[in-house]
Amino acid sequence: MENTGTTEVSDHKEIRQEDRSISDETDTGRDQPHGVELTPRSDMAKQDANSDKTVVSEPELTESTSGDSAGERREAVSMTRKRPESKAPTQPVGTEQQLLGEAEKESSSQAAGSWGYWGNWGKSLLSTATATVASVGHGISQAIEKAETSLGIPSPTEVSAEVKLFDGKGAEFDEAESSPKAQSESSSPTSGAFGMFSTITSAVQSTGITVLSGGLDALEFIGKKTMDVLAEGDPGFKKTKGLMNRNTTLSQALREAKEREELLVADQVSEDTEKKAHYGMLFDEFQGLSHLEALEILSNESEGKVKSVLHALSGQDVENLKEELEAIKEAFSLVEFDEEEEEEDNGGDGSEFVKELCELLSELNIATTSDKLSKARKNAHDRITEASNVLSAQPEESEPEKGQGPRDEAKSGDLNKVQKYSVENIHTSAIQSLAELTARSIEQFHKVAELILHSQDPDVEALDRAKTLSKVTVVLCKEVASLSKQFTSCLTALGATEKVEVLNPLITGVFLEASNSATYIQDAFQLLVPVLQVSQIQSRSNTTTR
Amino acid sequence: MLSPGCFKMLHGPSARMATAPYNYSYIFKYIIIGDMGVGKSCLLHQFTEKKFMADCPHTIGVEFGTRIIEVSGQKIKLQIWDTAGQERFRAVTRSYYRGAAGALMVYDITRRSTYNHLSSWLTDARNLTNPNTVIILIGNKADLEAQRDVTYEEAKQFAEENGLLFLEASAKTGENVEDAFLEAAKKIYQNIQDGSLDLNAAESGVQHKPSAPQGGRLTSEPQPQRDGCGC
Repeated sequence: MENTGTTEVSDHKEIRQEDRSISDETDTGRDQPHGVELTPRSDMAKQDANSDKTVVSEPELTESTSGDSAGERREAVSMTRKRPESKAPTQPVGTEQQLLGEAEKESSSQAAGSWGYWGNWGKSLLSTATATVASVGHGISQAIEKAETSLGIPSPTEVSAEVKLFDGKGAEFDEAESSPKAQSESSSPTSGAFGMFSTITSAVQSTGITVLSGGLDALEFIGKKTMDVLAEGDPGFKKTKGLMNRNTTLSQALREAKEREELLVADQVSEDTEKKAHYGMLFDEFQGLSHLEALEILSNESEGKVKSVLHALSGQDVENLKEELEAIKEAFSLVEFDEEEEEEDNGGDGSEFVKELCELLSELNIATTSDKLSKARKNAHDRITEASNVLSAQPEESEPEKGQGPRDEAKSGDLNKVQKYSVENIHTSAIQSLAELTARSIEQFHKVAELILHSQDPDVEALDRAKTLSKVTVVLCKEVASLSKQFTSCLTALGATEKVEVLNPLITGVFLEASNSATYIQDAFQLLVPVLQVSQIQSRSNTTTR
Repeated sequence: MLSPGCFKMLHGPSARMATAPYNYSYIFKYIIIGDMGVGKSCLLHQFTEKKFMADCPHTIGVEFGTRIIEVSGQKIKLQIWDTAGQERFRAVTRSYYRGAAGALMVYDITRRSTYNHLSSWLTDARNLTNPNTVIILIGNKADLEAQRDVTYEEAKQFAEENGLLFLEASAKTGENVEDAFLEAAKKIYQNIQDGSLDLNAAESGVQHKPSAPQGGRLTSEPQPQRDGCGC
């Protein structure tokens, strides 16, 4: 809440409620109102695992960043919150052990606080899933981040025990986790929570590509569960629903995440490769934040207009208009992902995506093109091709080195370095591609908003446009999923000989950012609701004046 | 209080926590305004890419550019909103003025009409930004001396009468482009230094990234209300 300033008290009342309801359910929600600390921290976890050099400096870094902010938060917490169970996280002290201990503790309290609510996840949440994307996204990030922080920690025995758990229960994570039996199998709810994630990733690692989609499903499923958790605290999403109440703005949250990344990067004095893998900064470099911010402005202003028009009308007019506006809003909640379809391979090079997108955009009948999105998709494709080339070149390189005898060990060490470099390169490419595609998607929505708002007499009904845009959103999100699958396939294939601690965070990172990307896209899409409502009002008044 | 819900991103700088040094200390929001075809996007492109864009497409709504500059040893990130000059987008682009710390108001020295429209642009800029917003008048296409339609002197006088900074520049040759953005930044920075620009004011258009944690009070202040309505 500290980031929204003091001038907008009335507007924030609702949001605070929302925050609070989240924090009641997921313990960490209180400490991270926007969930923005996650990206950098997960990156840290990655680096911990990846680079021996930075291991020493990382914990200190963490202490100085999270320590300060945690300190401030704690101050706030102690002033306002009196619930005994809501203990503030312990001040991290400078050792890695303690740092990890904190992460574990946070995770455990989260697991204990929220796991119980996840029993009824099976109900369809898709219809509500889009309404609260922003908060859900952060929820997911929190969950994943915890998981990832923990990824480096579990002892081999723990991991193998959890693999057993996984083997036994298959993909039924929920059963495994919520049944008392599973709880007792793992030593505590904490390791149970860890188990789920490390299970996913280790399974992904050991069984390869086929399980990857399962991993992605698991992410989706975590998202759905988070929805449920939210729903518990906010039945019917009354507080969360509607743009008017959740304007704390995604762009702001993203901006902060990016700033934290910048901060990390600045402190590291690190090489370029490190910098490139920071999603938030890349997203900003592609002007994703700016477009999102501008889109938010248009959305907010449109919303104000809609409200004032509704105010000015009376009687039957209000009812009629309300109905029309509601219909438009409903078109925005129709976004559902056909899982079957998602499985089908769309050729990999994205040509299908571009074609589909072009068709949909032309249906809108506004002067917007998919050029930039197509470019982004092409760049992603190029990166994947490049990665595949590295992949196919790999065995040839390693073959002749086999016969080197005594120097074998040193050689394999070298080879490891090469591989590690490649794995990290692919990860970087993946993050870059996701950030670019997402930024361009948001730019696309922003342009759509501008063009819809300026066209005074639309030839296409606002409702039809809403439906088309809903399809656009599905296409974009599918493409994000498809991209992340392709990249993680590369990662798994190339990193087959890689240590779990190295590969897992990279794969999780790609899935995490893919999940975030889809969230941002859907959130930007929701910002178009009032824009199309204004357009509806405009075309209405045009017809009545004639 | 100005209407809530808008422009949360670029104001309330001290409300935003920063705990360690960034690679820049401030973010300034700029807008570029002026008639269609005066070269707004080209000025931006020249500033961010150091290249001249010969056939620049019409801007739809707004486009963006960023660059980090240095003023008095302080690194400042400029977030530049390059607005569409077309009249049909005027309603949309007006939405983007608020929260700008600096405005570049551009005309074309070879087209008098673009100069004549300045008062309308200036009215918008004055009405839609805060009183401290630094406005710099730019006469673009200064390389086309032979086709000059607006003299330097009259533009200079117009600028002085209205309290604007003024430069003639050329996006094509790059002449004075750098200075145009820098002069405005210097002025904004000076306003911050002498206290006339209140960073805590809403929509100052400036975000400060303090190197030491501050504003702890601000974080705790809104929280009690949270308790009041949460349960």
